[in-house]
Formats: sequence, C-alpha cells, structure tokens
Amino acid sequence: MDRPQFRGSFKPYVSPRDPCPPILEKFFVLPPQIFTNFQKPGLPQNSPEEALKQGSLWPQFVDGFSREEKIS
Amino acid sequence: MWVYEKKLLYPVEVTTCNPMLARYLMEQYGGADGELAAALRYMNQRYTVPDKVIGLLTDISTEEFSHLEMLATMIYKLTKDATPDQLEKAGLGAHFVNHGHSLFYENAGGVPFTATYIQSKGDPIADLYEDIAAEEKARATYQWLIDISDDPGINDALAFLRERENIHSLRFREAVELLKDERDRKKIF
Amino acid sequence: MKGSEEEWNMLKKVQQMDFVVVELTLYLDTHSNDEEARRQWREAIKVAANVRKQYEMNYGPLSLTSVPSKQAIDVGWQWNSTPWPWQR
Repeated sequence: MDRPQFRGSFKPYVSPRDPCPPILEKFFVLPPQIFTNFQKPGLPQNSPEEALKQGSLWPQFVDGFSREEKIS
Repeated sequence: MWVYEKKLLYPVEVTTCNPMLARYLMEQYGGADGELAAALRYMNQRYTVPDKVIGLLTDISTEEFSHLEMLATMIYKLTKDATPDQLEKAGLGAHFVNHGHSLFYENAGGVPFTATYIQSKGDPIADLYEDIAAEEKARATYQWLIDISDDPGINDALAFLRERENIHSLRFREAVELLKDERDRKKIF
Repeated sequence: MKGSEEEWNMLKKVQQMDFVVVELTLYLDTHSNDEEARRQWREAIKVAANVRKQYEMNYGPLSLTSVPSKQAIDVGWQWNSTPWPWQR
C-alpha cells in the first residue's frame, strides 16, 4: 500500500568512515491517528469484509505496512 | 466475569514450520510492549480511572486478550511439530529444555514476563499517556516483525494487529480529550 | 467434527460481523452522544447474532451462552470437542 502521507523521512549525517553502505534517506511512520484528536462522526466506512481484512471499520485510520516499504 | 468464545478474533493461517519466527513473535506474547502486558495494564488501571473511561479500558483490555490468543496460535503452529534439533537451530534450545513444546510468557530474548513492564499510577492522565505510548510501541514492534518475517499468513495477521494498535491509540487519545472536558468550570468565570 | 472449508468460511462471516460490533463498541465508549452510531451498533449486534445462530445451528455453540441445536447434538457436538481455535 503506497500511502506516503503517513510516512516521514530525514537525511541522516553520513560519515566517510561509516562501515556499512550508507542509506541516504531514512523513513519512519507517522500513523493516521496522530493527526486526529477526536474522531468525527459519520466518517466513510469499510464493508464488514473489508473492515476485518484491514483491521478497522474506518479507512481513514488505516495506513497499512509492508516489508516492501523498507522502513527499517 | 468473562465467557470464553471458541473462535479467534481474526482468522490466523500459518503456512510454514518456522520456529525462528515463533521465537521473534514471543516479543509480542510475553514482552514489555506485548499483548499480555497491554491486557493486564488496562484491566488493572480500570478500577480507579474516572467513570467515563472505564468502559474503554475494559473493552480494549478484553480485545488485547483476544490478540494474545492470536499470538499464541501463531507460536503454537510455528513450533508444533518442530524437532528439538530445529528448535535449537532457531535459538529455542534453552526454551525447549525448560518448557518442551509448550508456550511461555517470555520475550524474544527468553526473558520471562514481569509486572514491572506495566504501571498504574492512580493519575488518569499519567495512566492514559502510558497507554498511548504502549500502543505506539506495540505498533512499532509489529512493523519490525513484519519486516523480519516472510510468512504471508503470519504477516497478514500481524498487519491486522498493527492496525488495531492505531485504533486503540486513537481511542486513548480521545479519552484524554474527554477528561479535559471535565476541567473545573466553576473556577472559570 | 472435521473442519471443512465451508465451516471456515462461515466462521469467518461470524468473525467479520463480530468485528464490526467490536469497532463500534470502542467508538461509542468515547462518543456517547452519537445517536446514529448507536443505532448502527444495535443493528450490527442483531446481524452478528443472526450470522452466529446460522453457524451454531450447523456446527454447535461458540460459547456457553448459546443453546446447542438438535442438529449439532446429532452430529456429535460437544463443548470439549476439537478443534480449539488455535488448532484449526
């Protein structure tokens, strides 16, 4: 799932003496719920099938996560 | 009291015999930010929090026990028919001599569960902020587990559990907002 | 009783409908004034109860709050029979 709005990034300092090949840009998660203090009533909902699959009734709070993102 | 339901919260399918992965999953079974810690933390805090948030702590704690059962299912399936030799290669040799094929509340490094992982401060804001932090830490643990696992069935269940942490975190943040509404209005003319 | 594909799918339906109830319950814990959500919650409980009844009719009770159907007794259902949730 490609949802860059729930990810942040930074460019860490790279030393010529770093032993591993440097990763020039590092990513981290900014999960959807931190942008909401209180859920508004009447948000669009998933079907029951989709809700169980995604882990929430409200797609607005689903950001997904996969190893393909290579966040770590 | 509680009534047992003979079903999982989410259908877990495990396709590989992979004791190494089972060992990693123990972090969420008996680790500091795991499901047992979460369930016990909320179930204990609920007795003294303001009435408004008792229901939330009770319901989330109950859900955490169902998450614990999902983790147990994954660990059980991944190790069920593994030989002592396979367990040893997976770093579970010490676990095997102490516990055989049974599960135990310990983290991925084999450290047994301890109540010192959790707190109850008797201060609603301190407790709820701990709960929010616990959810975010559990979410991060699920991310690293997804990154290290290549079993599609396990990763499917882990993605579900990770998303639940998002929702619980949101609800605890809302609980903080509800308590802010209780600010003593008499003094604000 | 052997766990069949059909039973797995029927149980999944129960899990889906129960999950909607779980989600709406947590939501209402912090949104006690949302009447529309409360109406949906009551409806979701009804739907979940119906789906559960269908499953239990065929395969036996999922908890001891349900009465075992004659059909389930006839095919040999017992509370203590396998598979347990982690064995499926």
